[in-house]
Amino acid sequence: MGDIIKWESTMNAALLRARAENKPVLLDFFNPN
Amino acid sequence: MATVSYPNAKVVQFINKRMIPLQVRFDAQSIASDFNVKWTPTIITLDYNGREHHRTVGFLAPEELIPSLLLGISKVFFDADMFDDALSNLNKLLSEYPESDSASEAIYLRGVSLYKSTHNAKSLKEAYERLNTIDPKGEWTKRAYPYRLL
Repeated sequence: MGDIIKWESTMNAALLRARAENKPVLLDFFNPN
Repeated sequence: MATVSYPNAKVVQFINKRMIPLQVRFDAQSIASDFNVKWTPTIITLDYNGREHHRTVGFLAPEELIPSLLLGISKVFFDADMFDDALSNLNKLLSEYPESDSASEAIYLRGVSLYKSTHNAKSLKEAYERLNTIDPKGEWTKRAYPYRLL
């Protein structure tokens, strides 16, 4: 199997990485049920 | 999305290379309320300040998800007046996913990006003509309809 998506789980962490790497954020809302 | 699109190798490669992926439970965080999300799957493209630029609701297969994300990235650049970067992503979308559901909006946004970077109205008319050729009754062809007169 190949790689998996390296999901962040909080907005703060995602925005910190986004600024550091100069990338946009993919925000995915999912329903676990 | 979790069982079909997100495990797809091309999707994994694209997202890990081009975006910062953030996944939150619809029912567990106030962020869903902050973004007024009422249904899943909802996918939103944000800039690094947390501002929204693109949103989709509903399942997207891999061959639709990647061009939709490219459109979202293009809009981040377009909204920042970074038209060369917007055009680069729109051209990639249109060359690699010309049959995707995102293609028509990409043609429209490409025409506007070219116009805003060159101030040559010919790009708007060309966008209309391209849209009218591939999808005469399409939503984005209708939105570009006034440009036929330029």
